[in-house]
Amino acid sequence: MSETNPPTAGEIRRRILDFIHDELVAEDVEVGPEDDLLSGELLDSFAVLRLATFVDETFAIGMKPTDFVVENFQNAAVLTDYVVRATEGRSSAG
Amino acid sequence: MKTAGGSPVFLHRMVGEAAMNRPDAPAVRCDGAGLSWQDLARRANGVARLLLDTGVGRGDRVAVLLGKSLEVPAAFYGVLAAGGALVPIDPKSPVDQIARILRATGATRLVTEPSRRKVVADLLDAKVELSHVVGLEPSEATSVHVAAWSAVDQLASDRPPAVDVDGLDTSYILHTSGSTGEPKLIRHTHASALAFVEWAVSEYGLTADDRLSNHSSHHTCFATFDFYAAARAAATTVILTPAAMLMPASLAQVVERERITVWYSVPTALVQLLLRGNLADRDLSALRWVLFAGETFPDKHLQRLMELLSKARFSHVYGSTEVNVCTYYHLPESGEVPSPLPIGRPCSNAEALVVNQALEPVAAGGTGELLIRGSTVMSGYWADPDRNRQALVRRPAPGGLEETFFRTGDRVRTLDNGNLTFAGRADLQVKVRGYRVELEEVESALLALEPVHEAAAFAVPDGEGSSAIRAAVVVDPMAVVTHRGLLDGLKKILPLHAVPSEIEIVPSLPRTPTGKVDRKTLAKMQFRDGDCNE
Repeated sequence: MSETNPPTAGEIRRRILDFIHDELVAEDVEVGPEDDLLSGELLDSFAVLRLATFVDETFAIGMKPTDFVVENFQNAAVLTDYVVRATEGRSSAG
Repeated sequence: MKTAGGSPVFLHRMVGEAAMNRPDAPAVRCDGAGLSWQDLARRANGVARLLLDTGVGRGDRVAVLLGKSLEVPAAFYGVLAAGGALVPIDPKSPVDQIARILRATGATRLVTEPSRRKVVADLLDAKVELSHVVGLEPSEATSVHVAAWSAVDQLASDRPPAVDVDGLDTSYILHTSGSTGEPKLIRHTHASALAFVEWAVSEYGLTADDRLSNHSSHHTCFATFDFYAAARAAATTVILTPAAMLMPASLAQVVERERITVWYSVPTALVQLLLRGNLADRDLSALRWVLFAGETFPDKHLQRLMELLSKARFSHVYGSTEVNVCTYYHLPESGEVPSPLPIGRPCSNAEALVVNQALEPVAAGGTGELLIRGSTVMSGYWADPDRNRQALVRRPAPGGLEETFFRTGDRVRTLDNGNLTFAGRADLQVKVRGYRVELEEVESALLALEPVHEAAAFAVPDGEGSSAIRAAVVVDPMAVVTHRGLLDGLKKILPLHAVPSEIEIVPSLPRTPTGKVDRKTLAKMQFRDGDCNE
């Protein structure tokens, strides 16, 4: 990540939603922070993995397989919370 | 109607029997909620009565467009209890495809759910002739009759409506995508569906204590096992949600929590559970059968999974939507995975014949196309005489009669011990500069390389009138993998003409609704230039 300051929750959420709109869904599809990403009809497994890879790389999380659960990916809001927790963990762990 | 112990003859009567014998036992579970057999029977009878009120007649096609929910079995058994022919539709289908299926089957009634209001509106805009829609809130501005699920509940009843149905009536028409995009519509009767159900219940010893996974979408032949075989045994079907299926670690939690005893899916789902499901932390000791079908299970993954789930027996079943399951192979309890993995012996209700291009039987040990005859075979493709002529062939039988065999399009060989082994899809053979290449062989060569988790090979036109082979692989995220490394590895295993001209490393492979690798989509994907992961 190029920023020196850690991104805010709002910024994280915006970048996640931008990635979903730019890369994962059709042009006319609007996805909000609370919209279900895991309904099976918005994203396929391919897209979900791309989203996970994007989040992992963009925010340098070092995602573990146990993080790859519904509770962390159900929508952009909870995914943002997960990124915030994971990056806090990283800085406090040094 | 026969009573307990006899054959119920029709799919929907299984629900009535289960409700009589085990009214309070769970029939179906989904996302933590559930319906008992009595609840399910009452709801299904409500759907049936509502459909009969709309004038459904014996054999009339009724489409069901639902996501994974408790409404699915209620809709299924409701359509059947009304004497209708069920047309389950893949909820991920684009509107055009749904319209084609409705038009081709002549289904004018649709059972759905409120979240699909827009799809229904789009279907009506596309001039699809729908007369009645069940499952939406009624609104004034529509030309069709609409009834909500609450209207179903008002008609719920322990007593099924009295309708005439014969074992040779259509039970359901399933659709698969078909290689040209035009759906194949596969008609089964109550008799052909039940023949499979009876075999499955007996072979896997299903009882009321079992809890079957429902992984695949309800429009696939996998769901035939998940729902109907469960009902015959008064067992429970656990519908797995799309969210759990997208998140293998969550899926493993559900399998543990719901104490699933019998699993059935494509190998991919199991490979995902193995690689990303965190299985070592889960107690999956309730699992007693793991069934898989639809594509090749990479040996190394199967071996590892069998070690992790050491209490479960594994069964490789083979078939297609047209024949249900027609051969099966139980892996040895010793845990050894034979290579290649056989597709096994014909089921007790099927006859297998291996033939050459002239449809004459080949000598023992020879390779040829597999033909299947038996009580589980479909009666034919709906409204598709050309396809029926190609796929259903008549052969002379004793008594001057003829019998119908289904051409599977799969090439097989009979081993000395009587097991059949798969030798490739007839349509997955490609010619590369004059050489014949089996795409499955390229895939197994890729999978033999240490860091490769999943592999798909496919052909693209090479611009010079021949084909070029390309491949996409999913690799171990911890491994350092280069194109050069993969190619060097392949050259040790494959003849040069079979080595893909390009290999793309991807995060996951695109899949068809049943979970098979979608080679068509791969062939259309634009491969990026540049190197693989650093």
